[in-house]
Amino acid sequence: MNSNDINGKTNVIVPNPEIEALQAQVRSEHKMYLRSLADFDNYRRRTEREVAGVVQRGKRDLILAFLEVIDSFDRALQQAGDAATPLVEGLQAVHRKTLAMLETQGIVPYRSVGEPFDPALHEAVASVVSTEYPPGVVIDELERGYRAGDAVLRPARVRVSAQP
Amino acid sequence: MGKAIGIDLGTTNSVVAVMEGGKPTVVINSEGNRLTPSVVGFTTTGERLVGQLAKRQAVLNPENTISSAKRFIGRRFSEVQSEIKNVPYKVVAGADDAVRFMVRGKEYPPEEVSAVVLRRLVEDAAKYLGEKITDAVITVPAYFNDAQRQATQDAGKIAGLNVLRIINEPTAAALAYGLDKKGNETILVFDLGGGTFDVSVLDVGDGIFEVHSTAGDTHLGGDDFDKRVVDWIAEEFLRTQGIDLRKDRQALQRLSEAAEKAKIELSGALETNINLPFVTADATGPKHLEMKLSRAKFDQLTADLVERCKGPVERALADAKIQVAQLDEVILVGGSTRIPAVQALVRRLTGGKEPNQSVNPDEVVAIGAAIQAGVLAGEVKGVVLLDVTPLSLGLETLGGVMTKLIERNTTIPARKSETFSTAEDNQTAVDVHVLQGEREFAKDNRTLGHFRLEGIKPGPRGAPQVDVTFDIDANGVLTVAAKDKETGKEQKITVAGSTQLSKDQIDRMVKDAQAHVEDDKRRREEVAARNGADAIAYQVERQIRELGDQVPTNEKARAEQMITQIRELVKNESTDVALMRQSTSDLQQLAHALSAPAASESSATPGHAGASHGAAKPGNEEVIDAEFKQTK
Repeated sequence: MNSNDINGKTNVIVPNPEIEALQAQVRSEHKMYLRSLADFDNYRRRTEREVAGVVQRGKRDLILAFLEVIDSFDRALQQAGDAATPLVEGLQAVHRKTLAMLETQGIVPYRSVGEPFDPALHEAVASVVSTEYPPGVVIDELERGYRAGDAVLRPARVRVSAQP
Repeated sequence: MGKAIGIDLGTTNSVVAVMEGGKPTVVINSEGNRLTPSVVGFTTTGERLVGQLAKRQAVLNPENTISSAKRFIGRRFSEVQSEIKNVPYKVVAGADDAVRFMVRGKEYPPEEVSAVVLRRLVEDAAKYLGEKITDAVITVPAYFNDAQRQATQDAGKIAGLNVLRIINEPTAAALAYGLDKKGNETILVFDLGGGTFDVSVLDVGDGIFEVHSTAGDTHLGGDDFDKRVVDWIAEEFLRTQGIDLRKDRQALQRLSEAAEKAKIELSGALETNINLPFVTADATGPKHLEMKLSRAKFDQLTADLVERCKGPVERALADAKIQVAQLDEVILVGGSTRIPAVQALVRRLTGGKEPNQSVNPDEVVAIGAAIQAGVLAGEVKGVVLLDVTPLSLGLETLGGVMTKLIERNTTIPARKSETFSTAEDNQTAVDVHVLQGEREFAKDNRTLGHFRLEGIKPGPRGAPQVDVTFDIDANGVLTVAAKDKETGKEQKITVAGSTQLSKDQIDRMVKDAQAHVEDDKRRREEVAARNGADAIAYQVERQIRELGDQVPTNEKARAEQMITQIRELVKNESTDVALMRQSTSDLQQLAHALSAPAASESSATPGHAGASHGAAKPGNEEVIDAEFKQTK
């Protein structure tokens, strides 16, 4: 590779482009290898998390759809008012039973009326002038909010007091 | 350098995607969603809410909640007069006729609001990926002028991002479909989103995209379709019940949701139910809403909206001076392109061409942006594209069955081992017949090679253990090795080019397998029944021999007769699965009966049998030990 006259003499310091190229290649291959290892490791960890999440989400989707049925129940009972007929009492019992069933799954409704409006917990449907409440307070719950463990499963649909 | 992400910064929603292991993945935001609303809410406390949270408080805070900032970014105040009419917040003119949002007494340029959205998207992506994000590719509509592109880039800078590139949304969509790798092509991108409609005609050659023309309608999208359904339901309800649900805020909200849900369902079903119990009430009591909406009715309600898509497509083609026949590809972007009538229109306008729609139309732009980001960050190049085995690999086992070790579409390099045994007593060699294909039987598949492992220590059938390993490297070179566990004897074969089949060949083989799936399954069941029957016959025969005189003569004769019958069936390759299964189970029962009295009569007998086994085993192990020493 180098001229003949230095042959036999010490030529250790003579740079060998081939070796350098190979070294560079090894370095880049190694980087690629580390990168894919890291990618895979991250992927694996997240997949584990996601698999748990998918199960949760599958459950969540089902429960969210089911909450709409409970909302209808809420509306029905609201319409019934204070009428203590056996039918209404029966419906109330079914309603309680349904909520108890959800509770075994860690899903519980939370109260919103009287609380300050918080977009993490509430979805505002309308604002209403109120003399009873200071502005920015939930005055009415149109659909109840539910929590699953610590997280909000579904925000409450509310009406919020506005400045008179 | 951290990862580079791709951002589809949309008018209504934004999406982020990233390359991982050479494949684009959509980032899930902190609320668990793939889409983040492009909305920013400025609260009384000075907080900036982004996305879903901002939307939830929009009703209470309309003048301080900015949505659709994209309609204003990089534009002059004098240009956006018509847009201002559509938004509840205040838009004013800044210096040099610039657009400013007036929020709580302060002026904000649109890019600053977009930056708030971008920052949130980046934070969510960083959390999702578990690493810092600094670089991004952001998409913009093809019709965006320099000022709009510059302002979008500035938004990225304000958000602390290093914007690697601003690319056109249709280009990103084409990248998501890998169209940059094809030769010269002319592509039409049809993008019907939540609130905007864009058509673009592009050309790709040598990996470079060129936009020839754009057309569209800045106020046409999925929301308009929803509104048609809302109006229809409300009118029907008004007609039958005398109440206008649109005047009741709560009812209207429920109605809008139900309408959107119905629209989505009608993309897959021909009819859907809209069911809103206790939707409202009057003096007579509660009112319920329940009606059916057919796809035909939906199409009728939205026919003029679909028709409005026609003009821009024709205009874009005319402007690009392209005949329909010259189009190579059509790409659908935006959730509303899932509507069957929209798809039908696109097919009609593009000469019946089948549009590309395999990538989720809500995410295709972000995915393309992520691919571009990956290329620019040097990641895509760096990632070795891993190949897959186009067909399954395996070997022939008892009864001419192909036992698959590596299933088709397994990412290579891959390695798989399985232990096999002998089919006959005192068998000293096994034939390994390496196969490729999807059919159940060896003879229907492709032979890759044959080899023979000899020198197996003679023993009863099923006793020797032969480990067979299939190892296919990244280049598709397959090595099959067989090793006798006891003697350590090994034999192997290497087959090159097991992945080098033409696409036609592979398709033919896969189709062939699909065509014969029933037939093969039945034949395989027959073989399994024969093998099972044969195995039990062998086992009982051995049991009788071991038990010797302890077997009552009558039972012995019956068992032997059944064994003969089974052997006959196996030999004649009987296809009567039921009969073989019956014989197998009969013989099995008899075998139980044989061993039970033997056990009760003399408790020493099974112990004795066990002991003889036990005695043989340590002996064998010593032999193995010695042999291992020899090989060392």
